[in-house]
This record gives sequence, C-alpha cells and structure tokens, in this order.
Amino acid sequence: MTSATLSPGMAAIVLFGTFFFFLIIRVPVAFSLGLASLPILLIEPRLSPLGLFNEMFKAYNSFILLAVPFFLLTANLMNVGGITDRLMRLSRALVGHFPGGLAQINVVLSVFFAGISGSSTADAASQGKLFIEAQVREGYDKSFSIAITAVSAVLAVIIPPSILMVVWGGVISTSIGAMYLAGVIPGLLIGLAQMATVHAYAKRRNYPVYPRSGFVEGVRAFLTSIPALTTPFLIVGGILLGWFTATESAAIAVIYAALLSTFYYREMDLPKFYQAIVDTGRLASVALFCVGTASVFGWLLAYYQIPKALLSNVTAWGLGSIGVGFLIAGAFLVVGCFLDAIPAIIIVGTTLQPLAASVDLHPVSFAIIGIVSLAFGLVTPPYGLCLMISCSVAGVPMRYALKDTMIMLIPMLLVLCAIIIWPEIPLLLPRWVAPELLK
Amino acid sequence: MTPFLNIVQRLLTWTMALSVAVLLIPVTLQIVARFTDIIPRYIWTEELSRFCFIWMVMLGAIVAVRERLHFDVDVWTRLTPRQDTLLRMAANFCVLAFSGVMIWWGIEFTKFGWNQTSELADLPMWMIFIAWPFAGVIWLLFLIEAFVRDIDLYQRGETLTSIAPQEAV
Repeated sequence: MTSATLSPGMAAIVLFGTFFFFLIIRVPVAFSLGLASLPILLIEPRLSPLGLFNEMFKAYNSFILLAVPFFLLTANLMNVGGITDRLMRLSRALVGHFPGGLAQINVVLSVFFAGISGSSTADAASQGKLFIEAQVREGYDKSFSIAITAVSAVLAVIIPPSILMVVWGGVISTSIGAMYLAGVIPGLLIGLAQMATVHAYAKRRNYPVYPRSGFVEGVRAFLTSIPALTTPFLIVGGILLGWFTATESAAIAVIYAALLSTFYYREMDLPKFYQAIVDTGRLASVALFCVGTASVFGWLLAYYQIPKALLSNVTAWGLGSIGVGFLIAGAFLVVGCFLDAIPAIIIVGTTLQPLAASVDLHPVSFAIIGIVSLAFGLVTPPYGLCLMISCSVAGVPMRYALKDTMIMLIPMLLVLCAIIIWPEIPLLLPRWVAPELLK
Repeated sequence: MTPFLNIVQRLLTWTMALSVAVLLIPVTLQIVARFTDIIPRYIWTEELSRFCFIWMVMLGAIVAVRERLHFDVDVWTRLTPRQDTLLRMAANFCVLAFSGVMIWWGIEFTKFGWNQTSELADLPMWMIFIAWPFAGVIWLLFLIEAFVRDIDLYQRGETLTSIAPQEAV
C-alpha cells in the first residue's frame, strides 16, 4: 500500500472519470462500476483483475445480505396474498375523508407497508400499480400521483424493518436493534410531512375526498389487519429479545407473510407464489450484483486511501457536530443521486464513520442521518430507483414527475435538518425501550 | 437463435426461483434448531444459504441482461430512434467487454479454486467460482442476439418497443 504506482489523485481521476464516462453512454451502473475498476487493476502491478472476482465473492459471501431477498419476498407475498389489500382498507378508514383522500391513503399505506417490508423498491413497484392509475382516474394530476407514490415509498427503508439498516449494521457494525427503534420517530415525522404536503396540494387543486367511513367499518378493517400489523413487533421484538439475528428475522417475516396469506387470508396459490419468488429473484439479484461491483470500486478507493485524502481537509475545518451532520447528509444526498443506497453505504458510509466519531456524533444518530439522506436518493435523478419505477409503471419518462417530486422533498428535508440539529430525536425511542443497546 | 435463448432464459429463471426458495430452508433450520431439539444444530446451514445466495445473484444478473433489467442512468433527453439504437449498441459493447473479462479471468479464478473446499460443508469451491465465467458466456450469447436485433432496428430506423422479452418466462 505504501508503494502504489498511481498517486491517490491519479487513481481517483481514473476511477471516477471512467465511471462517469460509462454512465453517460448508458452502460448499466453495475457494469460501469466493474469496468471503471478494470484499468486500475491492470495498471497497478500489485493488483490483478482476479481482485475483481475476489472482492465480488467476498461481498456476496455474507449472511447479512441474505436479508435483501427475504425482505423483497415478504413484500411480494404481501401483495399477491391479500395483506396489502387489508391494509389499504384500514388506511382508507383512517384517512380517506381527509382532503386528497386517495393520496393520503397512499402515504398511510406506505407507513404500514414500511413496518412489514424493508424494501422501498418493492413498495414503489406495488403501490405504483395500485395508486397511480386510480388517482389519475379520480382527477389527480399524473405527475403528482407518480411523485407521491415514489416519495412515500422511501419510508420503507426508514421505518423498521429496513434493508439499509441491516446492511449498515453489517458494514459499519452498529446495533441493528437500536437503529430499528431509532428509525421509528424520523419515519413517522417524514410520513406526517408527506401528509401535510398532500393536504396543501389537495386544498389548492381541489382534489377529491371520500366520505368518512363508518365506525363499524373502521373497526372491522382494523380487526382484519391485526395479524398483519403485528409483523413489525414480531421482527423488532425478536431482535431486541435476542431470539434471532437480523437476517433470521427477515426469514421469519417471509414465513409469517406466507402463512398469513395462505391460511388466514387464503389468497395464496402456487402460481402466485411462484410469481412472487421470480419477481423477488429478479429485483434482488439486479440490486445485489451492483453491490458486488460497487464493493470492488470501494475496495480500490480504500486501497489508494482516497477517502482519507478527501477527508483530511474536512477535519481541519473544525466543524462542530451539527456541521459534520450536515456534511454527512450532504455527502449521502449527492452520492445517492448517482448510486443505489447499498453500494453508497459500502463506499461512503465507511469513509465518513471516522469523521462522525471525531465529533462524538452517536453511531445510531449517524446511521439515521445517513439512511434518511440515502432514502431521499431513491427519488433524486439521475439514479432514483423509486422514481424510476413509479415512472415506468405510469409509462412516462422520469423528467415528467420531477418538479412535483422536488416540491415534496422540501418538507422532508426539513425533517432531516431537524434530525441533524437535534440528534437526540432518533435516540428517544431506543433510550426508552432498550437503553442497553446505546451503551 | 432466439428460440434457443428463450429456453436458456426459462431454465435460468427457473433455477433462480428455486435458489430463492431454497435460501429459506437453511435459515429456518437454524432458527428451529436454536429453540427446539427436533433437529441438531447443523453447522453447514449458514454456508449452504450463502452459496445458494451467490448463485441466485449471478443467475438473476445473467437473465437481467437479456431482459434489460440492469438499471442505467439516462441523461439523454431527446434521441432519434437511430441515435437511441446506436447508443444502446455502444453500451452493449461495453457490457460485452465486461463479459470478456468475466470469461478470461473468471476461468483463471475458477482454476484457482479447483482444489479448495469450503470451510464448513466441505463443498468444492469451483462450484461457486464457476458462476462468473458461466455468466460471461451466457451474456456473450445474449449480447450477440441483441446486436443482431439492433442492427436490424437501425436499418429500419425503429425504436426498441418491448423493453423486456419476459414472455419467454
């Protein structure tokens, strides 16, 4: 490591230069990362392209990442097995009579969905089919409908369980149980911010309202949803009590969702099950393949100590913990525009950790700031997976819904600022329920 | 060539689905063994699930090249159908180059693992490592098909309509 042929600066230029070149000519992100690593592996005499395979193998050979297909499968089983329908009825009974009823339902359903599934992309895909067309038919603007579906989908990675928190816990060794608890309040705050945004839109544009559901109907909707609503308590509780690890809890969620939809709601059959499994494999492997090549890229950045070179200036600025918080959020927001969240954690999260530690920012607060910022990256162009999916469900290019998405991000950014200024907000719940996790 | 590749795609998709389902078994065994005495605490469960997982990722990534599911970043606003086709061919050429890397050094990687076995279950490691050169070879076939299609599209000046040939599944 001491006698590298290339200087860190040169290596950074080669890595990022080739990466952006490939992105611009529309090479898929996963392949761009792999191809960008190749010149360095060939130039540097101590490295060889075999490093590409070694690092990819190491990345995939991890028990933690197994949670990704499990969380996706849970979400897909919920959709085909009628759990989502039950939760939708409950959401309608709760907020259908608010201005912009259907859009409010969209947000509240995302909150419920987030509590069971840990995958935003699955949320965007399923609710895109459920809501966008229906909203347009009821007179909502199409771009508004796409945008609210996409931004509410990001709640899935903030409210526990969450794929990103499991990965974060694996890469930066932070307590997953503590992060789960810490995500609850910020997630609900962001959900409220979105509901307020919908309210403002609905008032200005006269969006339709549903008649208030009767009390009996509401109670019935709640009762049928109870088994589904207990899932988050099962998952988070099981981890806190030490019954199972994060990955195992994801497997439990799959089995619970499968049993619930087969025996309780009785809407599951073999073709539906097969479809859920195939969809899961497709989405999970595309996301995870990118994790492999991103790990190679991240490993090369670390080899040349590029992150250290970048951060050496920052520590000299003498920022306080709030300043560092904003810097961390800014870094994740920018990176989130170009990368998927998991590779971003692998490449950037590990880089920023020493910085966060240097100003005594609590590791859990650091994680929540990072994950919320990365969640915004799911809807920011050019690489905003949730927005891409919502737009493709609606059959329009991504630019179409950009303006409304950006407007909706403003109140959410205020919540992010609040978390940075008062890093105690996410810590409230873990401190109350499980103080031993915070050490 | 397309009918043959349809069969390949169907087989691979089916195997991928199988590996997703199989993933669950070792993890479930692990939990059951912890809380009951019905089955012993197998030590190989974790390793087996990790290996299934690697094959799932690689199989999904293989099929996704044909179905055009790998996400890309689109910064181009207005392209004529011909420009669009040319750009896609350029991008596919880069993926082709990567497939070459996967085959060339992937074979070396597999040879490297030829005599290794896994730590816990004693599985031969080449069974895992071979996933990489295998991916490269199948990508090569899929990409040749895509080039033939794109040359045809370019000559006729048409846009690619079906984004994902999923009817094969």
